[in-house]
Amino acid sequence: MGAQSRMTLLSLPRRWQRGLLLLCLLLSVPAWSADILLTAAEDGAGVQAFVQALTQQRPDDRVTFTPLANLPVPSRLPANTRLILLDLPSLDWRLQDAQGPSTLVLRISRLQAHQRMGQGVPGKISLLWSDPPLERQLRLIATILPQARRIGVLYGADSEFLLRELRQYAAPMGLEIVPQRWDDINDSRPLQHLFRNSDVLLGLDDPQLYNPKTAKNLLLSSYARQLPLVGPNAGFVKAGSLASTYSDQTDWLAVLDRLLDHPPAGWPRAVYPERFKVVGNPQVARSLGIEQVDEANVAARLAEGEQRP
Amino acid sequence: MLLCSGAVFADDLFLDNQPLPQVLTATRLKQSAAAVPGSMTVIDSELIKASGARDIAELLRLVPGMMVGYTSGNQAAVNYHGTNASDARRMQVLIDGRSVYRAGLATVDWSDIPVAMEDIERIEVFRGPNTVSYGANALMAVVNILTRSPADSHGSRVKVVRGERGINDFYASQGVGWETGDLRLSMSGQQDDGFDSNAVGADRRDGRRLNRFSLAVSQTLNTQQSIDWQLNAKEGTNQRPYTYTPVFAGITEGGNNSDVTAKDYAGSLRWNFDFNPEHSLYIQGSAQQWDRRQIWKACDAKVSFSPELTRLWQLNPNYAERLARHMDTYSQGVAPPGSADEQALGNQVLDQWRNGASQSVCGDIDQSTRESRYDLEIQDTLSLSDSLRLVSGMNYRYDRADSDTYFNGTLDDTTWRLFGQLEWRASEHWLLQGGAMYEDTHLSGNSLTPRVAVNYLINPRHGLRAVYSEAIRSPDMFENNVNWSYRVTNLDSPAYGQNSGQYFVVTRGPGNLDKELMKSRELGYNGFFADIGLNMDVKLFYDEITDMISSPLRNNQYIASNANSSRFTGAESQFDWRMSNADRLRLTYAYVDASTSNPLDKAQTARNSGSAGWLREWGQGWSSALFYYGDDALNRYRFERVDLRVAKRMALGNANVELAGMLQQRLDNQPTTWADNNYDHRQVLYFSAELEF
Repeated sequence: MGAQSRMTLLSLPRRWQRGLLLLCLLLSVPAWSADILLTAAEDGAGVQAFVQALTQQRPDDRVTFTPLANLPVPSRLPANTRLILLDLPSLDWRLQDAQGPSTLVLRISRLQAHQRMGQGVPGKISLLWSDPPLERQLRLIATILPQARRIGVLYGADSEFLLRELRQYAAPMGLEIVPQRWDDINDSRPLQHLFRNSDVLLGLDDPQLYNPKTAKNLLLSSYARQLPLVGPNAGFVKAGSLASTYSDQTDWLAVLDRLLDHPPAGWPRAVYPERFKVVGNPQVARSLGIEQVDEANVAARLAEGEQRP
Repeated sequence: MLLCSGAVFADDLFLDNQPLPQVLTATRLKQSAAAVPGSMTVIDSELIKASGARDIAELLRLVPGMMVGYTSGNQAAVNYHGTNASDARRMQVLIDGRSVYRAGLATVDWSDIPVAMEDIERIEVFRGPNTVSYGANALMAVVNILTRSPADSHGSRVKVVRGERGINDFYASQGVGWETGDLRLSMSGQQDDGFDSNAVGADRRDGRRLNRFSLAVSQTLNTQQSIDWQLNAKEGTNQRPYTYTPVFAGITEGGNNSDVTAKDYAGSLRWNFDFNPEHSLYIQGSAQQWDRRQIWKACDAKVSFSPELTRLWQLNPNYAERLARHMDTYSQGVAPPGSADEQALGNQVLDQWRNGASQSVCGDIDQSTRESRYDLEIQDTLSLSDSLRLVSGMNYRYDRADSDTYFNGTLDDTTWRLFGQLEWRASEHWLLQGGAMYEDTHLSGNSLTPRVAVNYLINPRHGLRAVYSEAIRSPDMFENNVNWSYRVTNLDSPAYGQNSGQYFVVTRGPGNLDKELMKSRELGYNGFFADIGLNMDVKLFYDEITDMISSPLRNNQYIASNANSSRFTGAESQFDWRMSNADRLRLTYAYVDASTSNPLDKAQTARNSGSAGWLREWGQGWSSALFYYGDDALNRYRFERVDLRVAKRMALGNANVELAGMLQQRLDNQPTTWADNNYDHRQVLYFSAELEF
């Protein structure tokens, strides 16, 4: 509820601002509008809701959704179309063609991108990361568990590339990353080893490690040692993780709104959403003897910290 | 809040919608340390390992207020705060929810519990009565031993321990996991010589040798259901000194031991069902058997089997004993003065004595017992709201004891129990927890015991508590229904025309004993200072036991009654301080003042007792642990010991090796608990090598 009321407060003046801006544009230059084409392999209720929300958000643009199956190869789309991809099959489709319109890719994690493209991102494609940024997650830990020093991190072959970055962020914060490779999810020994040497666990958004199959053992055995897990995503918080940062549709609409206001040439290659929220599991916090996570307050503190470079 | 509303969650394209099970649900989560409705000491796996302890009883020295003594080298006597019974008669002891309190003789044979130290994940000791959660007999404390879950025991472990005093232990385990389950199989053995010498300096016969087998399996059936099952077995020999002393003068022959062969078996099956995150249920069934085979050679005068002497004992045990102890004197004349019947029987016995019944005869005494227990429990946990949780359930137990010596055959008992506990978080600061247990026992009637606790949480890490609870202990079969007599078989020469005979001393339990009642009041504080890593707990207590059955359990003139009472007051504290990632400091101290109607009931209470420990990781695989344990007087004997464990871990390819040396140094010069328990040297040294791969 808090999130919605906050959104209303924030968006009300923004609508006024946008109205004024629009008026200025109408008066000064010929009205320009963009063609925004969204696509995804699967067209579910969530996709429809998002398309509808974006249409309302961008009344001056022509927002359309076309299922991936009905699209030609990317290069045959009009060059001035702004393409928004909503799932991985559509990204695969887009990557098959070096030509094509400027593209924003949503719902892709660092790990998924790394698996598909390695470090390089083809031109005209902007990746909007879906996984919580590592630095933000570390700062969340520092805020809600100020005594934690040793951050236990499970990683696999797919997520190993994130460790270097994680250490870079951790060092100036005085945190120590305790990495533990976990290749065979049917073998719990690496977990036991990590749990013995950590103050808190940070989950990397790696579906090989954090999935419905592993959730039970991971959460039960870390809880048995009174060790909180932070992350890897909002869904895990409901399962029993202590807290995580996340960006929901409202946040992404705001992020998109800002990007779409700029010409595609100015779009970044890859970006984490600057708009986010914090979610905590009050029952887990209570059981671990930790202060309840004041979601709005912690999110505001983290956001403030990010604005100060 | 946002995530709790399913609609928002389901419609949002950007929130991960993979169907994750809710694992840490309201029904699975436990109270934080500050919100526990009582005093709790947790001995975690780090402490267990660092202590170097080879027995559970030794670990309990880390619990404030726990009185750890020894009847003999293989018979630990552990009591919380005290009372004289040599066994854990007033304490509930559970392994993964299964009570190991012996069904018939109501003792805990610590050394025979079929669980290896290496399989223990942690021990939670609830200090204070809690029948609501743990059933009757949770009178003074509850020791809850939790084994490592199969899911956390993957891989292979092999360990050997060798040292002075005949110490020779081994442990081997294998754990595997598959898609839907996990398994742990372990085998272990233990051997030592016990104490070295008795009160007169002769060899003390109290060594032991045992082997154990344990299998634990967890299996997930589907997202809502899982089962856990275990099989445990233990066999071994516990040496017992030969203590039989002939009643009649002039008998010189005898045996040299009364060793016990002990076999324990246990199996349990638990079915867990999660209806939804707010409601779960489990059903646990278990079966256990305790076999104690104990046969020794006894020699006495043939008159021991006289039917007339037996009748005389039944008529007046005092008279019979006076006559028996002075047979030689009375046989010069006539039976001692008494009633006409007594004197008539006495003179018949004296005639027999003069006509050959004074001759020595030897035979076998069989004091073997077999006890069984079947237990079925249903427990339901319901989270009614964010701040209200109800735990309720019922339990059925069937106990059976089979012993010719103690029960003249078989005796059984059934117990029904209903329990319920409500936890209400009235506000961020106030937590109210209360409940009651109703129990109906076939042999000793029914009872209702309430419990109520108020916790005030200053913040989530610091809590004050006030607890009032009542608890009962049903008299066990032995106290209430004993029918104690010895049948001696394989006589080397016939007595009264038979090759076997019933010994004339017969003792019967009163059969109408009432339950003991405990009323406990407690004020406590539990706090965790996160900044410096210090956890502390302080408790003040005032406990009273009335209708107490405190008579010593001996077979001459055993008259149990509810005539006694005792009161324990005092304070306890424990500090656990993780000074850094490398150092951990732990201190416990208990001051217990005992006031008892029977002086024997305070013999096992040390006024001052405690422990201190320092665990340190030195780097490069080296670690050390230094512990001090002390109590000022347990059964009048002081106990002070310092233990040092130094260990080195090494990686060997994919395997890990740990070599450790353990030194125990006694600081006092006293026997341990009893005058017969002495070591030749004040220190003992043993080594362990463990391989994990």
